[in-house]
Amino acid sequence: RPRSAPGPGRSSRGAPAGEMGLEPLFQAWSYFRRRKFRECADVCSQLLERPLGEQTFYFLLILIQAAWNLKTRALTEMVYVDEIDMDQEGIAEIILDENAIAQVARPGTSLKLPGTGQGGGPSPAVRPVTQSGRPITGFVRPSTQSGRPSTMEQAIRTPRTALTARPITSASGGYVRPGTASMITNPDGPFINLSRLNLTKYAQKPKLAKALFEYIFHHENDIKNALDLAALATEYAQFKDWWWKVQIGKCYYRLGLYREAEKQFKSALKQQDMVDTILYLAKVYLRLDQPVTALNLFKQGLERFPGEVTLICGIARIYEEMNNISSAAEYYKDVLKQDNTHVEAIACIGSNHFYSDQPEIALRFYRRLLQMGVYNCQLFNNLGLCCFYAQQYDMTLSSFERALFLAENEEETADVWYNLGHVAVGIGDLNLAYQCFKLTLVNNNDYAEAYNNLAVLEMRKGHTEQARALLQTASSLAPHMYEPHFNVAILSEKVGDLQRSYTAAQKSEEAFPGHVDTQQLMKQLKEHFAML
Amino acid sequence: MSLFKARDWWSTILGEKEEFDQGCLCVADVDNSGSGQDKVIVGSYNGYLRIFNPHPVKPGDEVQPEDLLLEVQLREPILQVEVGKFVSGTEGLHLAVLHCRKLCVYAVSGTQGNVEHGNQYQIKLMYEHNLQRTACNMTYGPFGGVKGRDLICIQSMDGMLMLFEQESYAFGRFLPGFLLPGPLAYSSRTDSFITVSSCQQVESYKYQVLAFATDADERHDTEQRKLSSGKRLVVDWVLNIGEQALDICVVSFNQGASSVFVLGERNFFCLKDNGQIRFMKKLDYSPSCFIPYCSVREGTINTLIANHNKILNVYQDITLKWASQLPCIPVSVKVANFQDLKGVIVTLSDDGHLQCSYLGTDPSLFQAPKVDSREINYEEMNAEMKELQKIIREATKTQDILPESEKQRDVTVTAEVSPDLDEESQAIESEVKTGAVPSLTVKITIQSRVKAQKPCLAVCVQAPLAVTCDQFVFDDLEPDSSETVVLSVFLKENCSPPDLEGTCMVSYHIPTGIPRVSQCSFSLPLKLVCFPAQPSKAANHKLTIDTNKPPISFVTIFPDFVDPSEGDQANALGFQFLTGSKTTLLASKTSQRYRIQSDQLEDLWLVTKELIHRLQEHFKKQNCKDFACTFSGSIPLQEYFELIDRHFELRLNAEKYQELLSERAVQFRAIERRLLTRFKDKTPAPLQHLDTLLEGTFREVIALADAAEENQANMFQAFAKLKSATHLVIMLISLWQKLSTDQVAILEATFLPLAEDTQELGWEETVDAAVSYLLRTCLSKSSKEQALTLSSQLSMPKDTSRLKKNITLFCDRLAKGGRLSLSMDSATQPAAAMPGGCATIPESDLEERTIIPGSTAVFASHGQTTKQKSKP
Repeated sequence: RPRSAPGPGRSSRGAPAGEMGLEPLFQAWSYFRRRKFRECADVCSQLLERPLGEQTFYFLLILIQAAWNLKTRALTEMVYVDEIDMDQEGIAEIILDENAIAQVARPGTSLKLPGTGQGGGPSPAVRPVTQSGRPITGFVRPSTQSGRPSTMEQAIRTPRTALTARPITSASGGYVRPGTASMITNPDGPFINLSRLNLTKYAQKPKLAKALFEYIFHHENDIKNALDLAALATEYAQFKDWWWKVQIGKCYYRLGLYREAEKQFKSALKQQDMVDTILYLAKVYLRLDQPVTALNLFKQGLERFPGEVTLICGIARIYEEMNNISSAAEYYKDVLKQDNTHVEAIACIGSNHFYSDQPEIALRFYRRLLQMGVYNCQLFNNLGLCCFYAQQYDMTLSSFERALFLAENEEETADVWYNLGHVAVGIGDLNLAYQCFKLTLVNNNDYAEAYNNLAVLEMRKGHTEQARALLQTASSLAPHMYEPHFNVAILSEKVGDLQRSYTAAQKSEEAFPGHVDTQQLMKQLKEHFAML
Repeated sequence: MSLFKARDWWSTILGEKEEFDQGCLCVADVDNSGSGQDKVIVGSYNGYLRIFNPHPVKPGDEVQPEDLLLEVQLREPILQVEVGKFVSGTEGLHLAVLHCRKLCVYAVSGTQGNVEHGNQYQIKLMYEHNLQRTACNMTYGPFGGVKGRDLICIQSMDGMLMLFEQESYAFGRFLPGFLLPGPLAYSSRTDSFITVSSCQQVESYKYQVLAFATDADERHDTEQRKLSSGKRLVVDWVLNIGEQALDICVVSFNQGASSVFVLGERNFFCLKDNGQIRFMKKLDYSPSCFIPYCSVREGTINTLIANHNKILNVYQDITLKWASQLPCIPVSVKVANFQDLKGVIVTLSDDGHLQCSYLGTDPSLFQAPKVDSREINYEEMNAEMKELQKIIREATKTQDILPESEKQRDVTVTAEVSPDLDEESQAIESEVKTGAVPSLTVKITIQSRVKAQKPCLAVCVQAPLAVTCDQFVFDDLEPDSSETVVLSVFLKENCSPPDLEGTCMVSYHIPTGIPRVSQCSFSLPLKLVCFPAQPSKAANHKLTIDTNKPPISFVTIFPDFVDPSEGDQANALGFQFLTGSKTTLLASKTSQRYRIQSDQLEDLWLVTKELIHRLQEHFKKQNCKDFACTFSGSIPLQEYFELIDRHFELRLNAEKYQELLSERAVQFRAIERRLLTRFKDKTPAPLQHLDTLLEGTFREVIALADAAEENQANMFQAFAKLKSATHLVIMLISLWQKLSTDQVAILEATFLPLAEDTQELGWEETVDAAVSYLLRTCLSKSSKEQALTLSSQLSMPKDTSRLKKNITLFCDRLAKGGRLSLSMDSATQPAAAMPGGCATIPESDLEERTIIPGSTAVFASHGQTTKQKSKP
């Protein structure tokens, strides 16, 4: 049996109680229940190191097994992250994705074509979009940042900014960090040496196997071994334990075998309805780009577990990703009916109101968040903007002041200055606006929106060359935005360079097909050309 | 996240550094007062038993001494306290206290005093049981359906259920498949014990079945015991919930069906009597304890769940009804009735914070800390604003990023180049083929007048030169201290350097945290890269420099290259470069001319430069001010163009390689993908030589990458040559047209862009843009040309003909008297200037930042993008 090496001696807090004659195992068990995992692991280590003797062999075995099990669980809990929330798609997964069903999906059935939403998605003119063409959401989740570039080259060339949708270079990216935990928690080496583990033996002890599996999966992040163990264990359980099937599915998902994962989850659901299993299965469907199937699954799940917040929230997220903002808002409201402290729902509804020209209502949602104790730069930033658009000018500047005060990094500071620039444009103080946008760029010099706005200001000053250069920078930083292209088109048209104006207008139309001003400009240009 | 906080009705902190857990709190009318007033009974792991009767005069009052009815130390840790009808012959409530190896049942009674603080309470031991095994937790109830009394079931750490019929021990049974104890509860409706086993299953055992199973204590033979108990003890029902549980409660309200509530680590379950899930809720926090307390609406049950974020949530089934903030993480929560107040929430934290609270609309006391707000003095602010705006205006006008720094610098850096080559060459990893590579020592001294933090020195020489060490990090420099480092410079790559300059730069922070930089440059002697050799007569390229003074003997101006034994008659001097090529310098005996000749155009540069430099130095020493060099021959443009073509050809090659590489990479990935599908297939299909194909493609990719690398090295050399030749051309043009230093600077800026030579933005297009800009502005012949538009996007040209044409035209215009100047068009900015993000901006005063405890919510905070409206 693997033993832990002596860990750094951290004195447990409950020493007096221990002196009173508390059984060490009981003490560890109690620590675990109170989520004092470090203390729990220490007590277990001491138990495992204690010299043999005193008790009969059988009881010793039980005791060691129990202590080992408890320590395994404690170490796992220290680094536990709900697998459902882990969603990172690396370049390799995107490129080697052979699960695509149709090259060109029908409208409304795919997440890859963001423009295909039918439920009245907002136009990019009103609500900014992310690089993958989706409207900006009110709550940053791992999956909201994933884009799906079509080729490897494009993926690599995507601008490297933290705020845009650049995929991570490999699946290991985000998963590596939890995996290294074993090194940190035990400086003398890992608690369990996986390579020396006889998985078959453990698979036949269900009470140990489950804890061991979670340890391998979450703490060691060794998916292949975890899968081996799970496969053996489910066989031992004669395929009657749904839990093992879910775990196999999780492993398959991590390994990119989505169809196999789907089978396992479905089989598990047949045995026992569980919220988690539904969420995992939906995650598989989303990865397979079948949002409609995922929606149906969620709705079925809601019939079994009516009012389950995570399921409703899942539906809302899918609708949001499919550009069906109005349905998303409905479901977010349902979430709030079940759980009125749900931060994500409040934030999303708030931002939705903001972008549908109801800043006063958005303000109420954000204020609610503030009352609930959310206290960060982003919130004050949003509050400031809402106040401005709701014409509560007295609060605007103090909100931004607080946002600046709370900004944790330069990106956040840049956001605040950008919005301040907006306010300055709104009140007509172009000098201030100019300086704000400059400050934005000082803090984050790939802020494409700021380049664009600075260019507009330069254009007003008559510095066309400067403006053109700024716009070029903006469009190279953010090819998904239509504004820089459109502005170049207008600028060129003004100075009489019709050809360039036309090409720029074409690019603008590509980025935002429904933009009326672009269409008008194109028409005008075509008339010009026809006249010539 | 909660809007409100739990309102404090009564609270106290128990003991010092005592420990408490789930079982340590119990609420009941333990002294049988009959008034329906609950008392709070708390036992600690340190052995203290306390009984409280909270009755504050008004909510939030301090604890009165008489609130504590009783405090005794029982010498043994108290694992659990329960109140029930534990004594036979009476229906009165008694207190059961579970120690590690003992179960004690006490009667609690009080004697009324004359005044309230005169009341006396005492406990009397009714009976006790010594336990064979270490206890873990217990449950009680009318097992087997007995009326009017409660039986106790204790679970031991090693999985035995010990049942006590009040004063007598009934029997003990081992649970099958036991590893660690789970929570234990008794369901009176089904007369069964419910627990969660280590297999993450909810298990229910009928009392009947337990009672008739083989007695565990009779057999101590372990093997047999395992067999017998495992066989006999049959589980009633099992539900796999896939996680460990914290607590189990069995409740039934209003004669409705009883429900089993299980609080898991991640989910919250409500089960029916038969073990089916009635409902479940996924929790997005870590729960700590819970209690289902009543049924407000028919068919639903209200539950309190506390979590490790110090929030107490009230659920009606699974709908969140209320959330309130608690002052600490509770390990146990109960609902009690006191005085006239019903439904008080009693919570106990693991460090002994006992609180009785009620829900209310007190806002959760989160107050945003004040932003550092000063009294606003508008006049001062106005003045400051004006001042700042003046600075901004100044800064934008001069286009200078930093104001010219103070007269005396805080930190000065000086470099001293030793006059002689190192005796023992320090060169490392030099790629130069010919024999020993000399090196030269440079001594760099940093002197600091103030305290400089984190000073860091970087020494930079242009490749192909290299230094032995280019980065130095020092400890903080004290005022008036200095640091000295010594390093050696040598020729690393096998080509002649385009210039022999080096820079060193120190970056540091002054104590206020502002980063500063100071730098200096040094020039290296010619002998680092070449040595004297026999002059050769014949050469491909010849240059003649005219001067207005009689020729000087080489012994005077090149003492380090002329062998003194040759006497001062030497009028020919040979330079042999380390890379192998040779340059000869000839002085005319009769006329005031010098001739430089070599087989390569680029090799002329260093020698020419050295010659002119040394001549100027020489005449300066002699106080001869009107010395001038001129060049009258034609500029060797043809040869120069050949070098350009060579460089350009290599760039084209590089592009070709890149295309091929990406093609092969695509192919490689396609094969990989195919292989992957093959391998993933359930029915193994033959690979059909895909592996061979993969291998082949892999080799091709590697070969291509090698070729591309070699090409890159060649390109680097070609660029070094091109740079040398460019320097030469610039010098010749300036001698030829007698340009002023300003004009030379413009020339240099035109032909030697600071940007790196890369595939995307190379020398050719940059120079082309710059030259055509000059042609279009200051060298333009007519206003018509000025309107000529430039392609604003710089991209690699198809060939170099346009560049050559422009350069030729440029020389023509200069010959015809064009003047280089940028003053006439300072209003319009150069088209090629890319705006950087670092234009002149006053330092923003935002260093002060606070760290906010991480919140999970992150909001996108982009506003909209302004756009220019078109005017139809």
